[in-house]
Amino acid sequence: MDTSQLLKGVLDMAVLAVLRKDDGYGYDVVRRLRAGGLNDVGDASVYGTLRRLYNAGMLTSYVVPSEEGPHRKYYSINETGRVRLAESRETWRSFASTLDGLLEEVAA
Amino acid sequence: MNTQALGVEYYLAGMRAALDDLPPSEVAEIMEDVSAHVAELSTELGEDETLEQRLGPPEQYAHELRQAAGYPPRTERLPVTTKNKLVTRPRAAAWGLVIATGVTLLAGAAALREPAILLLPGVLLVLSLALVHDRGPTQQEIMDLPETRRIQQWLTPEEGTPAERALTYLKSLQPAWWLVRAGLLGLGAVLLAGRDILGFLVVAAIAIISVFAGPRAKVDRRWLWFSLPASALAVGLLFQVVDVTANNLAYSSRNQSYPTPMTETYENIYVQDENGKWLTNVQLYDQDGNPINAQRQYYGCNGSDPQPMIPANRYPRPKIDYENGTCYTVTPSMSAPSSTPSTSPSSSGSAPSSSVPPTSVSPSK
Repeated sequence: MDTSQLLKGVLDMAVLAVLRKDDGYGYDVVRRLRAGGLNDVGDASVYGTLRRLYNAGMLTSYVVPSEEGPHRKYYSINETGRVRLAESRETWRSFASTLDGLLEEVAA
Repeated sequence: MNTQALGVEYYLAGMRAALDDLPPSEVAEIMEDVSAHVAELSTELGEDETLEQRLGPPEQYAHELRQAAGYPPRTERLPVTTKNKLVTRPRAAAWGLVIATGVTLLAGAAALREPAILLLPGVLLVLSLALVHDRGPTQQEIMDLPETRRIQQWLTPEEGTPAERALTYLKSLQPAWWLVRAGLLGLGAVLLAGRDILGFLVVAAIAIISVFAGPRAKVDRRWLWFSLPASALAVGLLFQVVDVTANNLAYSSRNQSYPTPMTETYENIYVQDENGKWLTNVQLYDQDGNPINAQRQYYGCNGSDPQPMIPANRYPRPKIDYENGTCYTVTPSMSAPSSTPSTSPSSSGSAPSSSVPPTSVSPSK
């Protein structure tokens, strides 16, 4: 199964989860998602997701100057984002257990 | 588009072109992220690897980003502004903010004299913010106004140009300015403290909130309705403090160079005895035995004749009388004091000095 289709629905949650641990700039978030096991995640998708979450008021951003190259824009999760992440996790858990149940029936 | 073997700049230019239908502010934000990304990636590339191999062509990158960000596809243009109405709420609010900031700058220059003048921009700000407060922290509608886009384009020069570097540098100074601003506002508050307690409280509150307003405005543009006028007020106060200081310096230097001695001078002194009789040839001395000399005025008779040696402290002094081009020193008649006491004898009181026969005339010529 193509995980990239699955990923589309949950990338918001994954990005929020990664940022809840620590603030990060775009490429940093990409790397942490990949290190977490989401190998198929696309750079551009992560950047787009960051912009969408930011525009939705769930993230804040600040710029950290970099000695080499352009400065980095760090994103950090705010209260709205944390609330959204908590809601998403609940939804995900109930959805996943529902699906697990269905799959168990199939396997049985 | 052949972007093989071309560098970061080319890739970014391709991306910018693929996003150019989006609001410039949004494009600027995206490019801020992406240029850092592409720059970092390019350092990780292998010998024969290109950015395109790693990320795909810029158009594809842009497309994927748009989808994830929830922007409309390339063909659709985002509504830039509601064209049917010239005066929209966002536009009125934006101009309200600009005008209020300008008024605050002017009012700030007078705020120490009359703090109540700050009510005017204050009311303007509250009204204009009320128009758009419900439109969220990004204030996208204001950002999409043609005038805002113009400013955005102006403030977003090509990467790597001196203008871009200068702007980046200025942006890096922003936190320092927030502190300076708070300091200036605090100074204004202190200067008001003795005279206007309400003005002091208001300006002090602005000073304190301004520290937080700067960073908040980065996240929530509605804070600009506080942050921009606060900056204007700080600059206005700075102007006024400089002006007042300059005036004080000028005033004190004037005071130093023009001391005003408040000593009275006398041209002549007339003495009466207890019976109201005018005395002549009285010599006056002070407590140390020094002669008391009224201002000399009879050195006008500078003839070659030797003048009679009259002690300078002998009163009344001879008066100068000019007649036919020659001058005489005339012993003052008893008419000299203009307000003669009633006890003075009438025989010697009223005759004008010129008509009095010179009793001890010493013709100078």
